[in-house]
Amino acid sequence: MAFFEQHIHPAPKTFLSKYVFSFDHKVIGKQFLWYGIFFLGVGGMMALLIRWTLAFPGEAFPVLGPLLFPDNGGVVPPDTYAMLFTMHGTIMIFYAITPILIGAFGNFCIPLMIGARDMVFPTLNMLSFWLAVLSAVLLLAGLVTPLGAAAGGWTSYPTLSTLIGSPGVGQTLWALALFVVGISSIMGAINYITTVIVLRAPGMGYFDMPLTVWGLWLTAILNAIFLPVLGAGLLLLIFDRVFGTTFFLAGAAATSGTGDPILFQHVFWIFGHPEVYILILPAWGIVSDLLSFFARKPAFGAKSTALSMTAITILSTVVYGHHMYTTSMSPLLTQTFMALTMTISIPSAIFFANWLGTIWKGSIRFSTPMLFSLGVVFVFGLGGLTGLYLATVTVDFYLHDTYFVVGHFHYTMAASVLLGGFAGTYFWMPKMFGKMMNEFWGKVHFWITMVGLNGLFTGMMVVGYAGMHRRLYNPFVYDFLHKLIPINMFVTVCAIIMGASQIIFVINFVHAVFFKKENATQNPWEVGTLEWTIPSPAPSHNFDVIPVVKCGPHELGNPNLTSGRDFQYQTEELVKA
Amino acid sequence: MKRTLKFVALMLTLSTGLASASEKMSLWQRMQPPEDIGTYGHLIHYLFNFTTYLNIFFFGLVCIGIFGFSFLYSAKRHKKPLYTHGKNKKEILTVVGIALAVFIIIDMQITRISAHDYQTVFMNFPKGKDVYKVEVMAQQWMWNVRLPGKDDVFNTLDDIVTNNDFHVPVNKKVVFQIISKDVIHALYIPNIRMKVDATPGKITRMWAEFTKPGIYEIACAEICGTHHYKMRARLVVHDAEDFVKWQESAQAIALTVNNPEEPDNFWGWQWKE
Repeated sequence: MAFFEQHIHPAPKTFLSKYVFSFDHKVIGKQFLWYGIFFLGVGGMMALLIRWTLAFPGEAFPVLGPLLFPDNGGVVPPDTYAMLFTMHGTIMIFYAITPILIGAFGNFCIPLMIGARDMVFPTLNMLSFWLAVLSAVLLLAGLVTPLGAAAGGWTSYPTLSTLIGSPGVGQTLWALALFVVGISSIMGAINYITTVIVLRAPGMGYFDMPLTVWGLWLTAILNAIFLPVLGAGLLLLIFDRVFGTTFFLAGAAATSGTGDPILFQHVFWIFGHPEVYILILPAWGIVSDLLSFFARKPAFGAKSTALSMTAITILSTVVYGHHMYTTSMSPLLTQTFMALTMTISIPSAIFFANWLGTIWKGSIRFSTPMLFSLGVVFVFGLGGLTGLYLATVTVDFYLHDTYFVVGHFHYTMAASVLLGGFAGTYFWMPKMFGKMMNEFWGKVHFWITMVGLNGLFTGMMVVGYAGMHRRLYNPFVYDFLHKLIPINMFVTVCAIIMGASQIIFVINFVHAVFFKKENATQNPWEVGTLEWTIPSPAPSHNFDVIPVVKCGPHELGNPNLTSGRDFQYQTEELVKA
Repeated sequence: MKRTLKFVALMLTLSTGLASASEKMSLWQRMQPPEDIGTYGHLIHYLFNFTTYLNIFFFGLVCIGIFGFSFLYSAKRHKKPLYTHGKNKKEILTVVGIALAVFIIIDMQITRISAHDYQTVFMNFPKGKDVYKVEVMAQQWMWNVRLPGKDDVFNTLDDIVTNNDFHVPVNKKVVFQIISKDVIHALYIPNIRMKVDATPGKITRMWAEFTKPGIYEIACAEICGTHHYKMRARLVVHDAEDFVKWQESAQAIALTVNNPEEPDNFWGWQWKE
């Protein structure tokens, strides 16, 4: 259905045009992958500092503490603590998960999986990456300003995020950085949406696309619609901070007329709720595909999975009010948002049933990508179901802003997305770098990560249910939280375990990319989507001849096959009895 | 070296599970929320437990799927996969059935229960003469509390004003009207399972009835700056007799302390019924 066929450009020769300012979607994808992994490390280190402070308040952070905080004897100071959780949230969402799931896999997979030679706007694509770099510089610059980086939480509610609560220039830089990263993501999103519409290989209808592409495409649509909303909110916030306007100011300090701080929360969550689906949709897509590929049977109800992801995309735009139950919105609005939120479980249950239907009566190969995919099903089950407590307004009165919320959104946004990202990395590694990652260490990485992650996030929910609220430098100034010290220590130990297990991944990854000798075969996983019809790693123009698609992406285990393979490529006519 | 040793020692205390040392508690006891001293905490717990039982049931199904299918249909055990796209009538009906079961059994039930509690209890604010009224102004990082005094009118000379110290009578309906001076805070009373935001420029409300005399804690639940974690207040629930005594002495102090020339003393507002 391609609207046109892209020309084959000669492969770039110089280092700069090949690796730095590259127009090639695969190189840009890899650039985003490195960028994301770097920030995953930075954000993870911040998480460990946070966890250490919560479990051992007043104790010096081992090894790094004395270097980072010499004036405080190696102990994280309270203002730095606020900075840490703010930057941890911001970095993980916008600088780690977004680049890996959307930047890396979006760029790498979409053209390869739909049979295109590149994105439809390669220059825009390159700009999108370099804007993301600029934004990272702006964000990190905040750390060296006199009052430090932003410290108002990643939600940056005014009036705390205005000059009343954060006089430092770090908060302004934070808002600017997010504004710029928003532009970068919108550029990517426009590119993805257009590419999927106009560059699908001849014969490929929307439902012949792999579900990975569906997930990425829906994410791009949400990004293109809702990042401008965040941008508007941030711009008004910057106006308040720099030009002295009063959009979000109120209270004693609003001497020249008042605005409404709650307005920002509305604007923020209109973006913020779709954002959690922006992060999770690519992971859902990847998992839906991988479960089918490794169970060696077609994806169960692939069309209904795609349609329920679409339904969630639409519903995600009308439920944001459940983040604001305690602001005393109008009771009618509160109950409407509660009812709307609940409807999301219908499409969620449909694709959950489809996932289990996919592995039902399959012939499952437990390779590393499959283990991570099954991990996503497990942790997203937990994350999704715990959302029900928070969606009911009365229970939320108790649990709002406690660690229960933190545990819940880490299960959905951190655990599921991270595991989905790992699944994708292990899976597409041969096509990206032409090397396979070590299977044994991949499995070790999976199991240790699963143990650490579940202890960590379940522990958070446990202390949250016991009443511990969020963003406390030292929770144990409260008598009723004293009994939680051992549980907090347990959670921190789990965090250290989870953090340490990522070293295995990094070594495995770096070894495969730079040092491994043996090359991967063209189709090591034996699946039939278009990217596996070309050599590994993919050549610079992808396809010598644009493929013609004749069947769906999940044709595995067809008993009528006579080719000796148990799968067929999308370029082959569907074998019938 | 010393630091490493310290770390090892910490880990050891953890492994013996006696880190907080002072009292021995089972893990189950540690996981429990603080004592419920309000009249609507049981509604929240009922709904929480109700959701939990259903979640355990449905997550059990998911686990049976993940682990059971992984066991039964591993490539070693099950060589020939079933070739199905999940498109026949029986398969579609199963999936739709599961989705509807989740929606009808969990979602519709908890929405109904929660909406009912929300309308009839949480938003059903007590009114009239018998209500004990409290005005609260949050600021970085402190709670200002104002009681109307003997004339039952706020912002007058006989108001009892305290900092980080809430005094309420037992078994009486209490209404808090809350505002913030600077940034957004949230008044969080763990013992009654309730919180509400304190927003600059907007009065929010919350009501409660405390059923057990004693001293409890109030916290700020919304990040409000560096010392957010220190924004802690004391909640004293007096029994009837005790309360009269406290009120009289506080009233006497208020009348001597309140300075009519000091505008900062009059941050209160006319009670909004």
